[in-house]
Amino acid sequence: MMILLSNPLFGVLLSLALFVLGQWLFDKTNGFFLLQPLFFAMVMGIVVLALLGHSMGMTTAQFYQKAYKPGGDLIFWFLNPATIAFAVPLYKRNDVIKKHGFVILFSLVIGTIVSLFAITGISKLVGLSHVGTASMLSQSATTAIALPLSTAVGGNAAVTAMACILNAVIIYALGKWLIKWFRLDKDPIGEGLGMGTAGHTVGSAFAVKLGSIPGAMAAVAVVVIGVVNNLIVPLFAHLMHI
Amino acid sequence: MKNETQEKKSAPLLVQMLIYAAVLFVSQFISNSMPKSFPLPTAVVGLVLLYLLLTLHIIKVEWVDSFGGAMIGLIGFLFVPSGISLAANLKIMHDEGIKLVIVIILATIVLLVVTAYTTRLLLLLSEKWFHHDSGMEKQSQEDK
Repeated sequence: MMILLSNPLFGVLLSLALFVLGQWLFDKTNGFFLLQPLFFAMVMGIVVLALLGHSMGMTTAQFYQKAYKPGGDLIFWFLNPATIAFAVPLYKRNDVIKKHGFVILFSLVIGTIVSLFAITGISKLVGLSHVGTASMLSQSATTAIALPLSTAVGGNAAVTAMACILNAVIIYALGKWLIKWFRLDKDPIGEGLGMGTAGHTVGSAFAVKLGSIPGAMAAVAVVVIGVVNNLIVPLFAHLMHI
Repeated sequence: MKNETQEKKSAPLLVQMLIYAAVLFVSQFISNSMPKSFPLPTAVVGLVLLYLLLTLHIIKVEWVDSFGGAMIGLIGFLFVPSGISLAANLKIMHDEGIKLVIVIILATIVLLVVTAYTTRLLLLLSEKWFHHDSGMEKQSQEDK
């Protein structure tokens, strides 16, 4: 049984089945937000792994490593070509970059600094530990940048990974409503930059559906926010004694 | 511009995949040579590299457009393994899990709204200061 499960096919099959089931349920319920396919597949996937692992006398983490990870890594790899593909919507709106390049850059730098103060404030208010607070700082960067940064400022990389993943899941599930509540669609440039900053590549995929300008701006945000975090987060953590 | 690209025939799927693979290969090389204190992941380097190749007209957009569009459409699904990978770190939830989730939800909203509003404010200011002609602005709105 375990030999069958440790084949990558199990992870691929489980991911596909849960995502497709999520899509179907999401359609059937006219878009109930807890049934967003990504959120549904994540929660149900963990539940399935926990149950199957338990039935075989393993912890969830052990069973995840053995049975799901080979297939999961296979799917995960395709995020590489999918991410560089954002160069295309970006290129198609080069007119906006040429016209507003500086404003876009400044907005992302200032937005990052303001957000860092806000996130530190929220962490302190909720009573998060020192390590927890430090782990929250670099979450707007893409995972591969955020994790080493988190470690560098005294955070826990696993907590930051959770933050990056949940950012994307939250934006994917609630993006439509957040845009409506905060009237972000008034300005397609800000809308796109926000989606890319808060939701990483998933937010960018969401923004591509909103229009050509938000899609291009989200792609800019994913790149620039990564670099800006590299420069600002260590400095911020040092100055704020985090 | 849009109509023009749609009329042109896109390159065969395998040719498009070849370009993506080549860009990723070079990007990985660049990413590996970055210092540890300033990491730039392969995918981010690749996005910039492919954008430069398109902007400098070294490769044509119809050579990478349809495959790229299909991949972007799949990102929600491609992210499922990342979500499920939290199964390996369920221990974190025992210590201060609820607090962390609350902070992460609020942080996501803060990042989205602060970035969007900062941009809106700076766009308004820049238009006041530099007297941009508003013609192009309207046009780009209509394109959307």
